[in-house]
Amino acid sequence: MTGGNVAGRMTGLTLFTPVRRRWLWFLWLGLRVTRHLPFMARHILQFNFIKFVRWTIVPRLDGEKLRYPYLFFESNFDGPWQHYIDAFAYVIPLDIRVTWGRGPGFPAPPPAEPLKAWIARNSMEGGTYYCAHAEHSTREVNNALAVRDRFERFRRDSAGLDAAAFKAEWERFLSDAQAHL
Amino acid sequence: MLRRIFDRGHRVGSAYALTTFARVLDGRADELEAYLAALPRGAESPFARIGTLHIARVQLFRELVHQGPAQKGRDVLRHAHLAFTSTIDGDLEPYLDELAAKVPEADEWWGRCVGYPGRGDRSAFRRYVRSIQAPPGLFRSAMPNARVGEVRAALALRSRVIDFAVSVQGLDADALHARFRETF
Repeated sequence: MTGGNVAGRMTGLTLFTPVRRRWLWFLWLGLRVTRHLPFMARHILQFNFIKFVRWTIVPRLDGEKLRYPYLFFESNFDGPWQHYIDAFAYVIPLDIRVTWGRGPGFPAPPPAEPLKAWIARNSMEGGTYYCAHAEHSTREVNNALAVRDRFERFRRDSAGLDAAAFKAEWERFLSDAQAHL
Repeated sequence: MLRRIFDRGHRVGSAYALTTFARVLDGRADELEAYLAALPRGAESPFARIGTLHIARVQLFRELVHQGPAQKGRDVLRHAHLAFTSTIDGDLEPYLDELAAKVPEADEWWGRCVGYPGRGDRSAFRRYVRSIQAPPGLFRSAMPNARVGEVRAALALRSRVIDFAVSVQGLDADALHARFRETF
């Protein structure tokens, strides 16, 4: 997967796959309910290489008579997707089966290999792709935001301190922020 | 009011996910595909002109993948379609106005699609994009409250802090204090 699906260190993965009509209500409800459950958001984003991810049910396309409604999925993450499919297949197999298993012909993981083949077959290629922070991984971005928050606090707390107290505060800041530097 | 409620499903924190599908005019798919493939990338991308845009993708598809014997009947497309997605800061309307003002390339991709009114009439442009917008589903962001400018500023600050921390190793309190005031 190259060309229109890669921007700097980022990869965009787009899947457009059919949903069995009898499961449409289930998927429709599931996406709406998940929106309101913070633990599900954390669950989805437990993989710290994903920046943005979206699912949308597409019931129809202009000018087409489709037998199936479709699930549009777009994920934007660091590096090539093949590296992470094992994690998806073995860590969240139930989530994957519940979501894409509503469509025909889905190879329920584990194992990961049939899932990789299915993704390769369904991945939309080409076009153009842009990311404003494409050269920085998801972890780098979140580390930078964490450093910013701690640095702002440090600046506020260290204003007006004499040199010795400032040094102690600086060392506290470094200790607090070191995991993000 | 209704629009705000509708838009909730496209939003998480300060981020908004726009997903659209437009039918490509018959006979224009090849040139559109070639145009998209040739668009500049990275800092030269037309999307780089919009400061509130995290991610944008524009892709054309002409067929739907048949999922094998388990799929009853094949869905065969009569037309090519254009998928256009964006992840932005804030509300959709200001983004669409910026898109219309700063990205004339939009005429090239949507201009080869059915019903596109052009960028000249901003409200018609906004109505068109709304008309091809997919219904809300589920959207998640690893940085839901960080705007593009904040992300860039935080990345630059982190880099400066690292450089500074390395450069002041071993300095006494007075020198550290003075260096910090000079640097930040």
